[in-house]
Amino acid sequence: MRIGMIHRVLDSIKAFRLDCKEAKRRSEVMKVRKALHKQYRKRKHSLVCLLLIATVTASCKHHEEEYHSVVDKIEAKSKDYKETSISSEIFIQDLHTIEISEGGHTFLIPERKGQIKSYACTECHTKPLAQLKGKDLKKAHWNLTLRHADEHTMNCITCHNGNDMDNLKSLTGAKIDFNKSYNLCKQCHTKQFEDWKGGAHGKRLESWANPRASMTCVNCHNPHKPSFEKRWPAKFNTQKVKERK
Amino acid sequence: MGTDKKKWFSLNLTKKKESSSCGCGSNSGGCGSHQKVEKPKKNDGFDQVLNSSMDRRNAFKQLTASLLVGAGAVTTACSVTGDEKTKEKAQIDWEEQFKGNYKLMSDDEKTATVDRLVRRHQLKTGDQLTISSETAEENVLFGYAFNISKCQGYMDCVSACVEENNQDRNSQMEYIRIHEMKDGKGFNFNEADDNFYHEVPADGHFYMGTQCFHCDNPPCVEVCPVQATWKEPDGIVVVDYDWCVGCRYCMAACPYDGRRFNWSKPEVPAEEINKNQHYLGNRLRKKGVMEKCTFCIQRSRKGKNPACVEACPTGARIFGNLLDPDSTIRWVLENKKVFRLKEDLGTEPKFWYFMD
Repeated sequence: MRIGMIHRVLDSIKAFRLDCKEAKRRSEVMKVRKALHKQYRKRKHSLVCLLLIATVTASCKHHEEEYHSVVDKIEAKSKDYKETSISSEIFIQDLHTIEISEGGHTFLIPERKGQIKSYACTECHTKPLAQLKGKDLKKAHWNLTLRHADEHTMNCITCHNGNDMDNLKSLTGAKIDFNKSYNLCKQCHTKQFEDWKGGAHGKRLESWANPRASMTCVNCHNPHKPSFEKRWPAKFNTQKVKERK
Repeated sequence: MGTDKKKWFSLNLTKKKESSSCGCGSNSGGCGSHQKVEKPKKNDGFDQVLNSSMDRRNAFKQLTASLLVGAGAVTTACSVTGDEKTKEKAQIDWEEQFKGNYKLMSDDEKTATVDRLVRRHQLKTGDQLTISSETAEENVLFGYAFNISKCQGYMDCVSACVEENNQDRNSQMEYIRIHEMKDGKGFNFNEADDNFYHEVPADGHFYMGTQCFHCDNPPCVEVCPVQATWKEPDGIVVVDYDWCVGCRYCMAACPYDGRRFNWSKPEVPAEEINKNQHYLGNRLRKKGVMEKCTFCIQRSRKGKNPACVEACPTGARIFGNLLDPDSTIRWVLENKKVFRLKEDLGTEPKFWYFMD
């Protein structure tokens, strides 16, 4: 039994020695490891740096430009805008237009007087209206019905001047030229007038380029019945009907 | 919404065509009005290739046909007996077959291919076309605005577009869609009708047009495996019809249904062909390629308004240069309450909607 104990003690001493050796060896290994790790960390640092640069440059792959949105792009790119070589002149030179300047917007509108079939009005309107209205004279403007606001708001003389048929008149009686009849419309349609000047209402003629030529109110709206009429669409796709069956 | 208003195109792979019914109640013989009319079954999509009955002979025929095209071109071009015109045509076919992607061509190469196309059409039909290879102008970025309050659903834009862009008359391909929407339902495309035929504007409805929005970050361009579609410097998203392989990835990628595919050979009556063409625009297309709105590149690059803008009788369509601070489109963007469709996708369409 004693011998057994001695053996055990010896064994434990051996084991302890071995442990010490192992610990020593391990600590050496750790030292080497630490040194390696230090080196690695140094390298890692530069590696991370490199990776960062790479990702930053690569992440812009989809957008060659540095803009976040198209609106930003428009804003930035139009800061030093130079007029393009494209001009609308060749497209609008055959149109009879007049230049107008309203609220900081200068553009061309079609000339009107030349388009009115029986202008000047005084060619027929030689006498005062009351005399022309008689039964003995030939009827004129028989096809005209006023469908613009209601009869309490508007009648012929809201816009026409019986004493000066060649011109229009404002609500206060000021003279308005037929070529600039928008001055008449804008008295009530203020919002549309603002949009028209800017270009949100109405229609551009021929070209998107400068100089701008736009239709004026009476080019789309018949002043006597200004609202658009119902009609059938220009197209119907019969193939689409078949496809969707 | 009825089933007849289905707006997507399905391949119809599993459904079998129902046999036609007859007044006599039976499906065959008997009443005398039955005739054995075997309608040629129209295959669709990959069915055209996979589901077509083909014997060995036919398969070999089709295989050799493609080889013969190449070989034929060589022999006619080199033959001593063929007449000058056939030789020239073969030469053109050869050069067209092996030309590169338009995007990568130099200006000289662009004019060369355009000249070849003009000459080929002349040899084929005797008609003279003008095909332009005009490049984008500096300081120009095209943009579009659509006034929902103004559109009345007259569809003049649609028919002008078809005529201007030489679209296939048989399949009635249209780039523009006008959606008739119920007041008070919002922009509900599922319930909207884009193929109406009744007097317009219908009471209680408003109208909204869609087409290619020429996104600044176009997903269709990203997915193209052969780079046959790209965004030009002036913002127009274009397709090289001769480089497109017809995989229709772009069609699937577009969140706005802006792209169209030629399932059959596009046909335009000779007298209706718009001869003022652009390589990237309205030149005559072939079967199996993608096409789409190009803001009428053949017109807009010269300074003209697109055909839809010109045709619109209500002034609902506004087109212009987004980079020009004094342009009308810029005034609309800065002064009206504008929005775009599916803005959250980040596609950045250059097509804004607004109301009065």
